[in-house]
Amino acid sequence: MTHPGFEAQVDAYLDGELAATDARELEAHLAQCAECARFRDGRLALRAAIAAEVPAFQASDVLRGRVRAALKTSARPSRFNLQTWWRPLALAASFAVVALGSWSLALQRAAGAALADDVLSSHIRSLMPGHLTDVVSSDQHTVKPWFNGKLDYSPPVHDFVAQGFPLVGGRLDYLDGRTVAVLTYGRRQHFINVFLWPRARGPSGAPNARDRQGYHLLHWTTPAYAYWVVSDLGPAELGDFVLLVQRADSAETRGGT
Amino acid sequence: MLESTDLARFEAAVLPHLDAAYTLARYLTRNDHDAEDVVQDACVRALKYFDTFRGEQGTSARAWLLTIVRNTAYSWHKGHRNDALTTEFDETEHSRAVADADPEAKETLSRALDRLAPEFREVIVLRELQGLSYKEISDVAGVPIGTVMSRLSRARTQLQRALRKED
Repeated sequence: MTHPGFEAQVDAYLDGELAATDARELEAHLAQCAECARFRDGRLALRAAIAAEVPAFQASDVLRGRVRAALKTSARPSRFNLQTWWRPLALAASFAVVALGSWSLALQRAAGAALADDVLSSHIRSLMPGHLTDVVSSDQHTVKPWFNGKLDYSPPVHDFVAQGFPLVGGRLDYLDGRTVAVLTYGRRQHFINVFLWPRARGPSGAPNARDRQGYHLLHWTTPAYAYWVVSDLGPAELGDFVLLVQRADSAETRGGT
Repeated sequence: MLESTDLARFEAAVLPHLDAAYTLARYLTRNDHDAEDVVQDACVRALKYFDTFRGEQGTSARAWLLTIVRNTAYSWHKGHRNDALTTEFDETEHSRAVADADPEAKETLSRALDRLAPEFREVIVLRELQGLSYKEISDVAGVPIGTVMSRLSRARTQLQRALRKED
């Protein structure tokens, strides 16, 4: 047998966990004690055998998907908790508004703020590797049909490559209680996500801008669609982009498609 | 307070270590199915405690996640003790199941590892398969570094003994 207490020392030495002075002392001992040297060799052989025969496992894609989904659901209820700080404010505002008789306006605003959070989360999630697009194509005639059968509407898809905003692709997301189309455009290193879904007929609204955590969000409505655009692109360029989308949308509506 | 970007930050910090999490869970539960449940559970718990992680200096996200995986696996085992699933924790039952699945002699070392008591098995997995330092293992297992050192040494001796017996 080896010297008692030495086994753990040799292990720590082999694991690179022994202080330099202790390591030197041990090396000196190993050089002259055949029994301890044999013990060390046995440990080295064991280490090699473990490396060769005992596998590390990989999380399957199914597990990855499950984890992501579970995180998403568990993040959601707590997100409402987090907004507690502005809730009293919203409540106070609501009471004031009730007094004025426009309760629904306040509800819409609160819903708008929650929706903006969702849009932003979705945007940030989309920037993580492999999440940006479900269909990768700069061809609007590939992206548009891809949505067929996945949505109960056929979103207008345009490419703005000539104007410097190439279409990157599309994907599905879940927002405001429904599955929605998301179109992704590029601009240099930046990405722009456009969320759009049909809405009950209503008046068109001008873009409404808000900034959150360094991202710019723009929301507007057309008679047919609700639009959200989010990006870290500068507000001026994002404004240009929104104009392009609005023009294309109204051209399409007028064209009767 | 969790903001909407926190989920993104959490995923960026934690998801790269999912393989490590699954490997530890797999060796602790010794079964795919339970390991996946443990990992999923652990990630949801981790998200809840993400604030506490960001507060701690010098802890790697990997070691932090593995700590939660380990604790989840232990409490999961306790909670399911009477469940049919845990019959696999029975030594004889388990080694038979593994032997049936992998009759190759090559699996001997894996089997020997599976038969170690969990406190020995986990230090081997954390050190040999995941390369954690003694300090990190001591954080994950919640024991002093001296205990990590002696457990590792005893675990290795047990593995060598088991191998010699198999020969």
